Amino acid sequence: MASMRDIKSRINATKKTSQITKAMHMVSASKLKKAERSIKSYRPLMYQLNMMLDTLLNSDRELSHPMLVNRETEVTCYILVSSDRGLAGPYNANVFKKFQADIEERHESNDEFIVAPIGHKALSFAKRYGYKTLFDETVHVRDDIQFIDFKATTERFMRDYLRGTIDKIVVYYNEFVNTLTQVVRDRQLLPIDQEAIVVPSEEEHNEQILFTYEPYPQAIVDQLMPMFVENMLYGYILDAKASEHAARMTAMKSATDNAKDLIKSLQLHYNRARQAAITIELTDIIGGANAVN
Amino acid sequence: MDITVVTPQGELYNESVEYVVISSKMNGEFAILKGHVPIISAIDVGYVKMVREDKSLYTVVINGVVEHKNDKISVIAQEAHVGMSKVSAMDHLNTVREERLEENRKRNVDFAKAERELKKNIKQAKAGK
Repeated sequence: MASMRDIKSRINATKKTSQITKAMHMVSASKLKKAERSIKSYRPLMYQLNMMLDTLLNSDRELSHPMLVNRETEVTCYILVSSDRGLAGPYNANVFKKFQADIEERHESNDEFIVAPIGHKALSFAKRYGYKTLFDETVHVRDDIQFIDFKATTERFMRDYLRGTIDKIVVYYNEFVNTLTQVVRDRQLLPIDQEAIVVPSEEEHNEQILFTYEPYPQAIVDQLMPMFVENMLYGYILDAKASEHAARMTAMKSATDNAKDLIKSLQLHYNRARQAAITIELTDIIGGANAVN
Repeated sequence: MDITVVTPQGELYNESVEYVVISSKMNGEFAILKGHVPIISAIDVGYVKMVREDKSLYTVVINGVVEHKNDKISVIAQEAHVGMSKVSAMDHLNTVREERLEENRKRNVDFAKAERELKKNIKQAKAGK
């Protein structure tokens, strides 16, 4: 049996760990709340943008944009949205697992696709497996993300797409369902799937208004399309961020619970060891006293 | 008539105004008064001047779209800021932007430094062997 001092020090170490995980759990909980709030404030913009695009594209079938056209796919770009830091349970691994299963199915060689990692974990994942990456520096996802943080990155995606170096962009990210469940989704970012432009309510859709366009419809489409793509990606990243906090929260919660269980069983061992020591001492004393008599 | 300004950060402004003037680098300047026909216009870099009772506020916009129907104006902007004058609002928007980007750069450098240090320490401690 381990000595009392060994058990005592293990109990102390586990207690310290559980304090840390508990603190991380609470930090993630408050960050999750913030992330949920930013998702909420992002929604009105997407709603308006969808509605406007829908009216615009329905008003004139002639209107088109390179981002709406499906072309033959030679190189697919996969955006992997991950976190910068670990200790988030299966959050990152889930994205990578789904991604790897999908590329196995879709591609024969690694030259047919290119990976665009967002977050430090995705970059090191891509490097580890030797996938071609679109950029070598980490695109950081900070906890309080803002729109402009990703502007340069999104512009780069669109530029490469319009130039023709990549023909299709698919995003892999964790969709936030609730605190306990996050589902990995793959969504096509470019070319824009017209089905993705969802008009939330039927009634507003039905009211037909003839709009005037200033200066002309095509210019508005040219302006709206990049905006739409930028906001779609921003929305995915917001969702992923909320999922990350939720995943970290549950992971830390279970870590704290496990630590508590461990402390309980260690405490039991400690008590037993202490009792054994007392018993030995007692038998010694009694034995000694008997010898004297 | 009512005007709402939305950005990815949420609703920025929601008030009733007398009329608005929309100005952008691409299309020049025009005003929307009450009863204007439904109109959609784009702004690359420009501003929306909102006027009520001789007071005016400026919303500077980078990449945005303005829609007007039934005396409701909605401005969708990637980046926007409301200010007393267009110069001050634009300045504010630019400084906020630059500060943020600068901060991000700094954080990235810090992160890389921390990462390197961690690698060094792992090597020194011979952890994972």
